[in-house]
Amino acid sequence: MPSRLRPFVGPLLILVLWEIAGRFGLVASGALPAPSAILARLAVDWSDYPGHIFATLFGAGLGFLIGNGIAIAAGVLFALYPVTSRVARGLNVALFALPPIAISPILVLTFSDPVPRVVLAAIGCYFVTMTATLVGLTQADARSVDVVRAYGGGRFKVLALVQARIALPVILSGLRIAAPNAVLGSILAEFGGGGRWGLGVYLLGSLGRGEPDRLWGIGLVATLIAGLAYLAFVVLARAVTGSSQAVTVPTSVLRSTDRPRPAWQQGLIVLASIALPLALWWALLAVLKVPAMLAKTPPALYDYLFGLPGSPATQAKLVAALAQTLPMTLLGMVAGLAIAFVLALGTQLTPRLIRALLPVALVTQTMPLVALTPLLVLLVGRGPAVILWVTISVTFFPAFVTMAQGLLLVPRAALELPRAYGATVWQQLRLVSVPASLPYLFAATRLTAPRALLGVMIAEWLATGTGLGNLLNQSRGYLDYGMIWAVAVLSVLVSVAFYQAVVLVERRVLGRLGMAVAE
Amino acid sequence: MGDPAGISLRRVSKSFEARGKLTEALREVNLACAPGSFTALIGPSGCGKSTILRLALGLETASGGEIAVAGKPPAEATGGGITGVAFQDAALLPWRSVEANVALPLDVLGRDRKPYRDKIAELIELVGLAGYEHALPAELSGGMRQRVAIARALVTRPEVLFLDEPFGALDQILRRQMNIELQRIWMESRATTLLVTHGIDEAVFLADRVVVMASRPGRITRVIDIDLPRPRRPELFNDPAFHRLEAEIAGALDGH
Repeated sequence: MPSRLRPFVGPLLILVLWEIAGRFGLVASGALPAPSAILARLAVDWSDYPGHIFATLFGAGLGFLIGNGIAIAAGVLFALYPVTSRVARGLNVALFALPPIAISPILVLTFSDPVPRVVLAAIGCYFVTMTATLVGLTQADARSVDVVRAYGGGRFKVLALVQARIALPVILSGLRIAAPNAVLGSILAEFGGGGRWGLGVYLLGSLGRGEPDRLWGIGLVATLIAGLAYLAFVVLARAVTGSSQAVTVPTSVLRSTDRPRPAWQQGLIVLASIALPLALWWALLAVLKVPAMLAKTPPALYDYLFGLPGSPATQAKLVAALAQTLPMTLLGMVAGLAIAFVLALGTQLTPRLIRALLPVALVTQTMPLVALTPLLVLLVGRGPAVILWVTISVTFFPAFVTMAQGLLLVPRAALELPRAYGATVWQQLRLVSVPASLPYLFAATRLTAPRALLGVMIAEWLATGTGLGNLLNQSRGYLDYGMIWAVAVLSVLVSVAFYQAVVLVERRVLGRLGMAVAE
Repeated sequence: MGDPAGISLRRVSKSFEARGKLTEALREVNLACAPGSFTALIGPSGCGKSTILRLALGLETASGGEIAVAGKPPAEATGGGITGVAFQDAALLPWRSVEANVALPLDVLGRDRKPYRDKIAELIELVGLAGYEHALPAELSGGMRQRVAIARALVTRPEVLFLDEPFGALDQILRRQMNIELQRIWMESRATTLLVTHGIDEAVFLADRVVVMASRPGRITRVIDIDLPRPRRPELFNDPAFHRLEAEIAGALDGH
């Protein structure tokens, strides 16, 4: 077989099996239609698509521009003045961890189209691109930075002459991930209701009618759009990185020039970092002059939760929903991470595994969660199992990719040293591979936790009718603004708390092992 | 204080804090390099010899004491374009051609490149890279990259030159060649030079004076004058006088 064709064999095989399974209704009694049936349906429905695609893409595109513009500016600011990044930490984590679906109803009830789309798309881009910019700018080779500083160059000279060029490919890879996020954000905004156009609206409308072939069609189109956006930046990044690969292996990392601060200053920074998101929430409502009935300020929300006659009932509802959502999220995450960990270690033994799994991983990563969830509902039904599947699929692939690629960075010599002393494969795994993969395991946990919560909430909203997702959907129906805000804030807090917990454990464990945190 | 283009350190101390522990990198170091002199700093790893150079370049701030480069505080001297520097790693920017890498200090100092066109061409010729002006660092060998770094260090016509193990990553044969070239370049420019090195032979061959350091805490233990006539030729490496000086330095490094 010509080696050029070899990469196509796997996907082709999957397609053939899929066709057979679909034709004969082998999976979940016909919930998986054959590719040919999906294509046929796509052709029939084609006249519906342009309007929906345009609405989603317009919001995603505008949000992409705005969100990334802000993100790059913020990344530059944080790199130039590290203290600002510590003050903005609370805001950054909140923006990263907030499940877009949680604030979708608030946005839709407060603003008119396309603002909610643009806002959620922008939020989806912000953290990824901001982090990429910051990492790109600060990872500049310390030796190159020294040369500029040795001629009296200040931080702006270093930025212009060294860091900017080194950061460019990293920023591009950030934009690559931000692009599908923008599409997802735009679709999620449509969950808030009210609109006529958009792939999300189309999806919600078709979900009720139980037409698997149309649902799959919409899911595939959404995936294709996100995938094309991803691909565009892959091509761009390749053109840029050609000439800027490092010539030598860096021997030192950029030392932080931040001098240790007295305790009261440290405390002040932490306090400011917590106060900033709250202040911004308040200020936005005041500036936009949102009516008090619609918009809950922090004290108004506190009043709703603790000061009203109905408050105990409200609290009970929230606690009950949380008790349904949390265990499933955790269980799914642990399962997803565990499978990813084992398979990533497996790539150390058989490197071909990573080549086989990587394309699948890329597809699922670019596939918008909203498109994936209804398909999983079709396949496994509306029971709690669907939640588990959503969380596993959401955590598994990013975790696998992070860990497998991290393990590829382990120096050959470190792997071969135990072998040279006659170590078995298992000893080698225990002594080198497992410890070496720890930073990536933590990074994966940290990065996938908010996505897992989002996946669970989408599944609860669309399918199971349980937990926080369902409570949000119900409150939206009853126009219970207090509850909408309460669920939104609670889910953000849960997400942030989880993220923060992982960060604390990560720092302690890696600190003890003398390892650096992986981004 | 200090001479017009010399280097002077007075009672300079430096300590680092890492993982809650205070490490004393330098304790009360006194060093004066006369204008036009060539001084080599030699000592075991971690004795603070590179720290002295980084302090003089303003890359670190001293915990105590006074430093002057050409009679000025380090930041003023480096920002004024009086100094040149080459590190152990060439630290070339991979996206810049040889020519553009040599011109980097000019960009940092905000100087117009045009008046330096001939100087840049001359330097590239001097380090034996004529014809490679437009090559990217990835297309050069390790020795060639290091020569670009030397040319870069000289582009501002520095009065004070700092070299931090510039040939540390090269093999012994290439290193000897580069030492001979460096002496030639230095004799033409007569810049006050401070060389940090691990190589005893390199120090003796190049320097007027070898400063021997010890670690924990980093301090100067001996200063040995090298009164061999210049220009020094490659045959010198086999001269008994050369070997005597090498032995003396080796002894000083062992604490005799």
